[in-house]
Amino acid sequence: MVAAERVAATVAQGVHGRRRVGVGDSFWQYRPFVEGDAASRIDWRRSARSDRAYVRDMEWEAAQTVCLWRDGSASMDWRSGKGLPEKRERAELLLLAVASLLFRAGEQVRLIGVPGRVFRGRGATRPLAESVAVLREGVPAPASLPGWSRAVLFSDFLGDLEAVRAAVGRLASQHVRGHLVQVLDPAEIALPYAGRVRFLGLEHEGAALISRVEAARGAYRAALAERQAALREIAARAGFGFLLHVTDAPPEGALLALYSALAHPVAAA
Amino acid sequence: MIFTAPLLLLALLALPALYFLLRATPPAPLTQRFPAVSLLLGLKRTEETPARTPWWLLLLRLVAAGLIVIGLAGPVLTASRAPLGAAGPVLLVVDNGWAAGPGWAARMAAAEGVLGRAERGRRAVALLTTAPGPAGEAPSAQAPRAAGLVRSMLAALRPMPWPTDRHAALAALSKVPEGPVFYVADGVAGADDRGFAQALASHGPVTILAPAAPAPLLSVRAAPGGLVARVRVPASRVGRQMQVLAETGDGTLIGPTAVSIAPGAREGEANVALPQELRNQLSALRLAGLPGAGSVALLDESARRRPVGMMGGGGADAPLLGSLYYVERALAPTAELRHGTIGALLARPLSMLVLADRPLAGPEAARVGAWVEQGGLLVRFAGPALAAAPDGLLPVRLLEGDRALGGAMSWSRPVALAPFPRGPFAGLPVPAEVTVSRQVLADPASVAAAEVWARLRDGTPLVTAARRGRGEIVLFSVTANADWSNLPLSGLFVSMLDRLVSRSAGIEAVSPSQRMAPAQVLDGEGVLGEPNPAAVGFIAGAIGQVAISPLHPPGFYGPAHDRVALNLGDRIVPAAMEAVPGAVVEGLAQAPRDVRLGPAAVALAVALLLGDFLATLGIAGLLRPVAVSLLLLAAAGGARAEESPALATHIAYVLTGDPEVDRISKLGLEGLGDYVNDRTAAVLAAPAPVVPGRDDLSFYPLLYWPVTANATLSPSGVAALNDYMRHGGVILIDTESGGGSFAPGADAALKRVSEGLQIPALAPLTGQHVLAHAFYLLSDFPGRYDGATVWIAKDQDRSNDDVSPVIIGSNDWAAAWAEDEDGRPLFATIPGGQRQRVLAFRFGVNLVMYALTGNYKGDQVHVPAILERLGQ
Repeated sequence: MVAAERVAATVAQGVHGRRRVGVGDSFWQYRPFVEGDAASRIDWRRSARSDRAYVRDMEWEAAQTVCLWRDGSASMDWRSGKGLPEKRERAELLLLAVASLLFRAGEQVRLIGVPGRVFRGRGATRPLAESVAVLREGVPAPASLPGWSRAVLFSDFLGDLEAVRAAVGRLASQHVRGHLVQVLDPAEIALPYAGRVRFLGLEHEGAALISRVEAARGAYRAALAERQAALREIAARAGFGFLLHVTDAPPEGALLALYSALAHPVAAA
Repeated sequence: MIFTAPLLLLALLALPALYFLLRATPPAPLTQRFPAVSLLLGLKRTEETPARTPWWLLLLRLVAAGLIVIGLAGPVLTASRAPLGAAGPVLLVVDNGWAAGPGWAARMAAAEGVLGRAERGRRAVALLTTAPGPAGEAPSAQAPRAAGLVRSMLAALRPMPWPTDRHAALAALSKVPEGPVFYVADGVAGADDRGFAQALASHGPVTILAPAAPAPLLSVRAAPGGLVARVRVPASRVGRQMQVLAETGDGTLIGPTAVSIAPGAREGEANVALPQELRNQLSALRLAGLPGAGSVALLDESARRRPVGMMGGGGADAPLLGSLYYVERALAPTAELRHGTIGALLARPLSMLVLADRPLAGPEAARVGAWVEQGGLLVRFAGPALAAAPDGLLPVRLLEGDRALGGAMSWSRPVALAPFPRGPFAGLPVPAEVTVSRQVLADPASVAAAEVWARLRDGTPLVTAARRGRGEIVLFSVTANADWSNLPLSGLFVSMLDRLVSRSAGIEAVSPSQRMAPAQVLDGEGVLGEPNPAAVGFIAGAIGQVAISPLHPPGFYGPAHDRVALNLGDRIVPAAMEAVPGAVVEGLAQAPRDVRLGPAAVALAVALLLGDFLATLGIAGLLRPVAVSLLLLAAAGGARAEESPALATHIAYVLTGDPEVDRISKLGLEGLGDYVNDRTAAVLAAPAPVVPGRDDLSFYPLLYWPVTANATLSPSGVAALNDYMRHGGVILIDTESGGGSFAPGADAALKRVSEGLQIPALAPLTGQHVLAHAFYLLSDFPGRYDGATVWIAKDQDRSNDDVSPVIIGSNDWAAAWAEDEDGRPLFATIPGGQRQRVLAFRFGVNLVMYALTGNYKGDQVHVPAILERLGQ
């Protein structure tokens, strides 16, 4: 969580210049008092300078709800080397960092899979982290989400493609737009093994015995590219964006891309 | 090629079974957990997993298995397929005399090769040794028997310390049926060689297996200044180089001394120069690396030195005239001479005491008398003083006055010596020109009680002797200089004194009739041991006629305190052996030898299996990780060796480029470090060699810089040293010249190299300086040399804590501090003494303290004042 705050802080600074002013509880304008305003809203300091009474308006928008989810399946608990984080760890980091940024911007966050719980405010990162830790589903569960909200799904998307397609379709049908963030280990991209290797899945998919991994590398990459193309296609159909993040890359880059994408509305579907 | 266990080759039949077994078992795959396995599962159709081992790996394993089977079957490559020649049993003749000692193993290997050939040819072998056995039995030939049986006899064969007896072997030869002859010869001539050679030639075709160079023979003789080792060989075309080692009684080896024999020469000599103390302890000389009775020259008492004390009347040391001048020159080559007062001389063990015209009286006489009673040999020379005041320590009673012969007022002529009667001088040639012109006279009545060892022609005793207790008193009735006779000018005088010295040391001269029993004898490998069963003694007087044989093997003879050495080298003149007509000569090295291929085959199989292991790793994709981790381990091991000099306190020394000087610097600073660590709270690590300008000097509090005559300093070195001095370093510059005389040129070199150095104004170091009481209170600062002025900064620089950046001296401190591994000093101090070395170390301790603590001790001076002020 500390890492998430730290990563979020660097991104918040990075996007500060481009941010629109007045988001949140900062000053927006003074306007003349009109009938129906509560007397308590009069800004006396401003009103004393003239004959009229003024009300101080803050910028106030209905907070956007962003629904977050990360894959909890066993395949996320993996890393190829000691220097790398596990995919789940990195996905959680990104999720919490995005949430932290959103909290600073005054948005509220829901977790898909934790129904009825809304997180908001700067202090909400900790309860969010506790809730994320219990997510175990490999596919986003069907849930009723606020319409027109945003969703960000973190997963390696190496499981059943049709389940992903169905889940994203369900979200799209609730007018939820968002992003699919595929978190992959570098070894899953490069397949850096050699010789005769028996590959064992982490979710009881079975074993693949490959006599010369070097020879199979090209085919594997093609299969991975094919999978990613399918994911892009699913995302595009639902009006989602698709991002790829590799765990050996610094999380800030992915966070910045993700946050920018969230700040600018997705191209209308 | 043959196999010693051919039945094992049947195991090769199992190889096809192994082939199918191996083929069916593919190498185990590496297991890897992988989330994206579903993608890989989709690939499965495209890549066929081979269920079989690669063919080349299979081949590798089969070859390895085959090699193991073949190796265990014991293949032997027989080098010589040549038949053994004529029919009949093979006669193997082995020379096992003293000359076979060096290279005995090679001889046995050659003989073994012959046995191997005979065994394969299923021929019986007869073994004939040419040296008599230890019990004195004559050489005999065994009846022909199987080679395997002869092999055990061969293994029990040892070289003997005596010469071969080929004449006796000739007699044994006739009992063996004719057949091919193999002769493992020693190449040294013996008695009746010719007859033996002809007998061999007529016995059958002869093959001679002889070493390229026959065994050398070592002998030793005493010479002025040491021992001379003499090595003789039969004439040889090539020169030889040998090393002579001196061996003391307790087995310590000293040396080596090189002896070279020029090509074509028959002998070589080398002077074995040793300190006197060591020379007295020597028991033998040996030729290094050539074990054998001929390579050992035993040293008996005749080669030993004995300490001789001498004392004369006034002016005893005057050249040509002094009373001891000739005695000293006569004895110096063979004895250790000591001068001094009676008390000083007798304080140490003394073999012989020479008093030239020196009357004894009072306590001196009592002291000398007691010494003689305990076995000392007192040799006295007459003279005016003794004639005037004869004392009791004389073998005879002297008549008053002396007798002059051939003077200006006398009719008589100087008298020559008579041939020596029985006694220690017996047998010495008497030169006619030796005459006596003046002598003291003994009371004829007392002469009867004494022994007369030398007389003049007219019968007057010249040398008389008498026993006193266990010792003896000998009187020369003439002076020890040329005043009274010309005896001291002659060579006879030297021989007489030599005999006296060898008679001394409380040793009874061996009576010629004494029987000398064997005490320790050499064996054929040159090791002293118990006498062999046949060894018997000989009469001492007949030692010149004793021939080395089983009866008289080389070794020590006689009672323990009076051993006589019997050496091969003194008895035998080595000559080359008679050639056997028609013989084929082979060197020992080229003797046909079997090559066993089994170990090589198994080793190759193991190597192949190792390769198989690596290949399996490679197939499993593990080769690179294993190699990388091994490399990392090696790199980690290498990296650990590096240690920063900042982790401990090191004294540094400047490398001069002269390895000897650098070695002394290192040893000196190590010695100082040990001294400091033992006695102070400072802990010094090993000294560090540095080159100013190359190494970082900032880690070292003290820099020792020996400046040699050809010292140089690079500009970067100048800058580094200036920087070092500016920042609190202390440099001890040592020209190691002891004030200039011991290392000429060093002072000029110091001037040259210190040109660019910022050396402050200097003043002589006194006892007032902080350095003189930084740990010990010192008033002078010796190193190996003493007395040279030590210079130190004149003005104290507050900015540098009053520490002088440079100390310049020439006392060669490192040499005084240098110690060997056992902590013994390497260099004598000059002028010397343990005290000087202690002071040198103390100066070093002060120096280290000065460098480490600065002016701390200077401040200590003010402690009483400070305490007083605090009290108020």
